[in-house]
Amino acid sequence: MTDPAARRVLVLGVLTAVLTATGIIGLFLVAPEDSGEGQIQRIFYFHVSIALVSLLAFGVAFVAGAMYLRSQREWWDDVVFISVRLGLVLAVLTVITGSIWAKAAWGTWWIWSDPRLATYTLVILLYSAYFVLRSSAEGSRQARFSAVYAIIAFVSVPISFYAVRVAQSVVHPVVFTSSGAAMPHSMLIWFVVALAAMTALFFLLLQVELMQHRAQRALREVKLRLERG
Amino acid sequence: MTADDGALVDARGVVRSFGGRRAVDGVDLCVRPGERVAVVGPNGAGKTTLLRILATLLRPEAGTLTIAGAAIPKQSQAAREHIGYLGHDPMVYLDLTAQQNLELFCDLYGVPDAPERIAAALSRVGLVARTHDPVRTFSRGMAQRLGIARLTLHAPRLLLLDEPYTGLDTQGTRILDELLGGLGGREAIVVVTHELDRALELAGEVVVMRRGRVAARVGTAGVGLDRFRTDYQELTA
Amino acid sequence: MNPRGRRQYLALLRKDLRLEFRTRETVVAMGLFSLVIIILFEFTIGERVGNTAPIAGGIIWSTLALGAVLGVGRTWVPEREQRVLDAILIAPVSRLVMMSARTTALVIYLLGVQVVVVPLAVVFFVNGTSAVNLLLIAGVCVLADLCIGIMGALLASMSVFSRTRELVLPVLLLPSLIPVVITAGGATDAVLSPSRQMAEYRGYCLFLAVYAVIFALVAYATFDYILDD
Repeated sequence: MTDPAARRVLVLGVLTAVLTATGIIGLFLVAPEDSGEGQIQRIFYFHVSIALVSLLAFGVAFVAGAMYLRSQREWWDDVVFISVRLGLVLAVLTVITGSIWAKAAWGTWWIWSDPRLATYTLVILLYSAYFVLRSSAEGSRQARFSAVYAIIAFVSVPISFYAVRVAQSVVHPVVFTSSGAAMPHSMLIWFVVALAAMTALFFLLLQVELMQHRAQRALREVKLRLERG
Repeated sequence: MTADDGALVDARGVVRSFGGRRAVDGVDLCVRPGERVAVVGPNGAGKTTLLRILATLLRPEAGTLTIAGAAIPKQSQAAREHIGYLGHDPMVYLDLTAQQNLELFCDLYGVPDAPERIAAALSRVGLVARTHDPVRTFSRGMAQRLGIARLTLHAPRLLLLDEPYTGLDTQGTRILDELLGGLGGREAIVVVTHELDRALELAGEVVVMRRGRVAARVGTAGVGLDRFRTDYQELTA
Repeated sequence: MNPRGRRQYLALLRKDLRLEFRTRETVVAMGLFSLVIIILFEFTIGERVGNTAPIAGGIIWSTLALGAVLGVGRTWVPEREQRVLDAILIAPVSRLVMMSARTTALVIYLLGVQVVVVPLAVVFFVNGTSAVNLLLIAGVCVLADLCIGIMGALLASMSVFSRTRELVLPVLLLPSLIPVVITAGGATDAVLSPSRQMAEYRGYCLFLAVYAVIFALVAYATFDYILDD
């Protein structure tokens, strides 16, 4: 284990495993049952932590995009690409878990009046376009355009959220207090554990994929050198 | 090697790749005012890529490049003042008239006394009668001649020509020959061509490229076409 | 902008307008396309809901946004013929000047379309309105067009250098424009509602101005990495 990347994977892997195990035991067995919604409320731990880590992933892509434009180092492009992909998967999971929760809590699979659910739908569209652009751009432009778009898309996230909220306030007043604010301590602790577990999982996956990209690049270099003789 | 202040082109170990393949792989090139360099080589040797790097259209990935004393890509704007680029396409707007096209480029280059320059350029390429006609109505040869007029507007010191004779009619060929022949000791030319006879005729030095690298540099003084052709075939085989 | 830059900016803008004036391709296509969409909305939605007045703003701005994609897609198209793009990029013109001229031309095309389409749509959906209201809507048009023009010039410049060009653009552009469409629609509805809602109108216009500033900042930070290869 002399390779620092491999060591990071080991540390992150152990951390993720411990946090996930603790989290699952805690939020299913220890955390109190919600008096209003019952068992289904436990999806909240997944739903909210996935949603927040998805935003974190897009934030990482934003920073990495700016770093790529400054340094033109391929490594940053890898970080952008992997973060957007993980963030998009998490955003889709957010919408799915949110929809399940909505069905249980409000009796309907989908309500546009929840600004967060609606924003995540927009975010999925925004970031899906990243892959369309990336597969269409060629050569050195691919990484540059990807980085630029990761920046544009991240800036669009709060704008979208705001616009969605403004649009809804006209039709029906938005309740600004979210379920998170009035959480009892016994729930908050397990939410923090779930959030930490999800964050650790994100960085673990990021690290593993970065290693894979690095290996691929090394392989390509070797091939190129062999071809050139 | 030390930095050459007077050189119009000073490239050291310039590299540019596409999708992992190095199209230009460590090229050194120095061109001083008054010099004429022809770049020859088989298809895919990296000639056009090299020329586009010199034209500031492609950024080098590695190595250093100075054009007319300006470091690329940091001071590209300063370098661009001195560059004239002519490819096999005329690079003018088809839906603008000859006059409007030339006006646009005068404005972009900040040319003073634009009307006089435009009139002179149009008469040099024999298009005065078509001044106010849209380029779409021109023959290919005429459009190409307008391209030559565009090239001369800002009196560039470094002319970069990519197969400039393809697409030219006989009149255009004569005009381009006159233009290049009339250049003095201030200007330099880098011409990419696949015609060896043209290269010998035009240039004082021929750079033979192969697989992105310079395979040979040949002074053309006293070299016959036949001997050059045999050497070239050996070099690029 | 220094005098040199101003001369270049005006030359590029004059070139775009001259090309458009000679061919009239962009504005005519955008206008006709917008009218077709308005008819579509009228017969798919308007006929069914009866009173279209409360949803007029949303319909108008959805239409204009879709029409804008056509115009934005024409960006750099004349330059692709005869490799003029190379000649423009080789000229000593700052990329900021190029993008500004491009943005201005787009805003002018959009306004040219809206001068015809917006009054027609107002007649169709709310049975006409006062001149003051039309002027207020013109203000919305200017602000929203700035947003569309800036984002459009930025994203179109990326799509033009990509393999699938016109195919990528709507996927890239429309998600980023959704907040603009929502807000501009809200502002238009505020004007057209029976008792003109000036406070709401001002709020929406402020949002549009903020979006325009944010878009401009993002464009300013990234355009340098788009045009040059």
